[in-house]
Amino acid sequence: MSAINPDEQTAQQLAGLRPGAADRSKHADLGDGTLVEAPGERAPLVLNDRSAHDVTEIVCGYAENTPPKWWLPAFLIAASSTGLLGVGVLYLIITGVGVWGLNNQVNWAWDITNFVFWIGIGHAGTLISAILCLLKQKWRTAVNRSAEAMTIFAVTCAGIFPAIHVGRIWFIWFVFPIPNYNYIWPNFQSPLLWDVFAVSTYATVSGLFWYMGMIPDFATMRDRAILRLNASASAGEKKKLPDILRAYIFTLLAQGWRMSSRHWHRYEMAYLLLAGLATPLVLSVHSIVSFDFATSVVPGWHTTIFPPYFVAGAIFGGFAMVLLLLIPIRELYANFKDFLTLRHLENMSKILLATGMMVGFAYAMEFFIAWYGGNEYEWYVFINNRANPAMAPYWWAYWAMITCNVLSPQVFWFKKMRTNPLVIWLVALFVTIGMWFERFVIIVTSLHRAWLPATWHMFWPTWVDIGIFVGSIGLFLTLFLLFLRFVPVFPIAELKAVLPEADPHRGHGDHDEPGADVHGGGHGELSAPKGAH
Amino acid sequence: MSQMTADQYRAHLERTRRHPALAADNIHLPAGSGTKLSALCFGVALAGLALTLLGAVVVNVKHALAAYQVGVMSVLAIALGSLFMIMIFNLVNAGWHGTVKRQWEHLFSMLPLCVLLVFPVLAIEVIRAVVAGDSGRDGFLLFEWLNPAISGTFLIEHKAGFLNAPFWLLRFVLYAAIWIFLAQRLYSLSKQQDLTGDRWLSQKARFMSGWGTLVLALTSSFAAFDWMMSMDYRFFSTMWGVYYFAASAGASVATLVIVLAILRGMGRLTGAVTDEHFRDLGKFLFAFSVFWAYIGFSQYFLIWYANIPEETAYYLRRMTGGWEALSFFLIAGHFVVPFVLLLFKPVKHSTLGLALVAGWLLVMHVLDMFWIIRPMVYVQDWASLNPGPTGWWVDVAAIVGVFALFAGVLIRKIASGPLVAANDPYLHESLKHKNYVG
Repeated sequence: MSAINPDEQTAQQLAGLRPGAADRSKHADLGDGTLVEAPGERAPLVLNDRSAHDVTEIVCGYAENTPPKWWLPAFLIAASSTGLLGVGVLYLIITGVGVWGLNNQVNWAWDITNFVFWIGIGHAGTLISAILCLLKQKWRTAVNRSAEAMTIFAVTCAGIFPAIHVGRIWFIWFVFPIPNYNYIWPNFQSPLLWDVFAVSTYATVSGLFWYMGMIPDFATMRDRAILRLNASASAGEKKKLPDILRAYIFTLLAQGWRMSSRHWHRYEMAYLLLAGLATPLVLSVHSIVSFDFATSVVPGWHTTIFPPYFVAGAIFGGFAMVLLLLIPIRELYANFKDFLTLRHLENMSKILLATGMMVGFAYAMEFFIAWYGGNEYEWYVFINNRANPAMAPYWWAYWAMITCNVLSPQVFWFKKMRTNPLVIWLVALFVTIGMWFERFVIIVTSLHRAWLPATWHMFWPTWVDIGIFVGSIGLFLTLFLLFLRFVPVFPIAELKAVLPEADPHRGHGDHDEPGADVHGGGHGELSAPKGAH
Repeated sequence: MSQMTADQYRAHLERTRRHPALAADNIHLPAGSGTKLSALCFGVALAGLALTLLGAVVVNVKHALAAYQVGVMSVLAIALGSLFMIMIFNLVNAGWHGTVKRQWEHLFSMLPLCVLLVFPVLAIEVIRAVVAGDSGRDGFLLFEWLNPAISGTFLIEHKAGFLNAPFWLLRFVLYAAIWIFLAQRLYSLSKQQDLTGDRWLSQKARFMSGWGTLVLALTSSFAAFDWMMSMDYRFFSTMWGVYYFAASAGASVATLVIVLAILRGMGRLTGAVTDEHFRDLGKFLFAFSVFWAYIGFSQYFLIWYANIPEETAYYLRRMTGGWEALSFFLIAGHFVVPFVLLLFKPVKHSTLGLALVAGWLLVMHVLDMFWIIRPMVYVQDWASLNPGPTGWWVDVAAIVGVFALFAGVLIRKIASGPLVAANDPYLHESLKHKNYVG
């Protein structure tokens, strides 16, 4: 036993307590009320005292009401850009991959750059859903649904490029190990084949995860749609086709969900299991994408840090895309700011800073080891193909990458910057551009001067390259706009679980503050309320 | 929504402090406890290190030095990993770790000792290089690039700007200064909070952790280059720093689990560190064991696949000459076994069960360091010098000696103050920490 009497010791220590030099809480700038810096306190996750009913009304409203005025023009622009994709791909298939700027030396360029770019963006959704779920980060509820949607759309865009770059697209089924009379099999030793498995597994699990998370919300939408249908029927009006369709489609999608506690129990379990399965997938997909390069002996490609470096880069690019999309929507949609607070933006900015530093760390390691390893070809790629403006024709791409990915997130060391939506949006834009350049730098600068100087060749994109890339952005935005229009953009049920009123301890103490639930010396665990305190 | 005023916070803190789990006899060890145990540890350490010295004489200096280095890099990993974990928790405003935080702080405040333990290796190697001069034969030194006798080769010449004794020692000083500063500062902020209850100290710690993590990532990676990778000056891997980090984080959690299990076994921390905390620590063990495997596999696989001689030599050495058994054992022991065991909730929920897995993982961690360092000893003169199995006592003596020293100092540190950072602003969250699902 302690030498000091316990009570005496506690009394001594409490007597010594002082709150700190100044009462800093009074002067703190809380922004919208969520920028709580004081240690020991948590920011609210939903603002303006929204009730559970408000949450349903607001979130369902986005998908049910007439879309805002900007939606249709935005949709038309995005959809017509998608046309570029169609035209480009059709022309490519009819004519051959020669319509790209590829040549004998640079046989991979924008096609694989775009593939890696999009597949990287497709990582944030599952990261937010799965890893933040496993880490019990409740703030993910504000962004997980839209990030997951973005994941699916980005993977869709990514999938186009490897498919169309094979030249004879009518043989694309060869990528699958399908038994056939000719006994022709894909090369199981090739990372390109593992890509097929990894990406399709990832797309499947992300899709399942996204869909499963939406089932309770689809049920809410279904109930509301049926109510609306019945209301118009009892008012003697004729049922409108969109209303009927809405009721039918959501009924199908909700799969008979009735909000019973048994449903919830299984849902929670399944969600957790899927989160556990999806987490290694997030790592595996981009690791295998990195194997496409790193298993080779091409200088600039073969380096052991590639797998975690690519994963960090993917999370980096994915979060940038989430911010790029959600910050404008936060301004354009009414009440969106109640759920996507400045705190959420600040957290995501911090993740951008952290992952940006990881990517920067990898750049530095690569550069250092390129020198340290003593392989002159490796060093040549880094200096004379990439970094040195006097020697490297693509120096601008390398420095664009460094500026966008490593330098621009540094502004997030300052709280003022990482709580300013405009600044965050601009940095996210820079990062998105920088991450595209990263893949371009890795792929093109390594290839354009490999081995024999006589075969060195520059790569310049043609209008088909550009058209297909712009078209893929169009496709991505089209899908995202459709998502905004028809699907609840927030997980309604999960948002309700993070409302202040969902806290079982709420109102038990004198103040609405942490620790109020420690009932005057009683057990702090989930003890039953003992009446007024 | 407003923040608490100073008075409100004080009231809140006092309410938290009245939690029964924070009763003085629950968060303090009995006076004078641990003295015997730590004395025993020091005794073992003395014996172990004396035997290592004997080994240097009887077997050879290089062997004894490598064995000692295995022990040192293992305990250094524990301390660095703990520093990393606490800084990450500070950065993300973690709440659940409030009651286990202090033990992690004890672990990282072992950094001065660890750094001190590294120094003899560097000093002895430099002295041996200087004394031997040009007469040193191939394979004379553990850090072969220090050997003036072989300075003419291309790679040595090329790397001389980085791999040279003065810069090597200078970097040691730099890493040491940074780590000791970070560790001491974070530790003293937390101890200060014990006394004053000033919650803004946590914000200071959070701010420090931002740049601290960055600096730690760079310094620990380069330290891993300097003190392990450069043993084979031909070899290079961009993943090396990440590999050492993965090993560190896992070793840190494993050691923490063992410390907490012992404290709980002594009847302390009841209600403060619960099965729920153990379950989350178990998840961390699982995660870092998988992460280690991921990093280790990636490094191996890319080198194997590309099959470039300058890299494959590293793995060839560990897949021949009897080392392949250890290589395969590490895959099973450091990854497969803990992966399977830690999937089960009862294992993570049980103090003893998790402590056993943690102990196993700690042994695997030492074997991992052993696997990295020890094959470098008899590279050039395998046949003539290798004492074979009869030389193993030196390895055991050195590793046990270093760990006993580490444990002895750690025990004294733990016994010297409260076992919980009782004024941590997030403590109320940690006290009611629950894993709701499942």
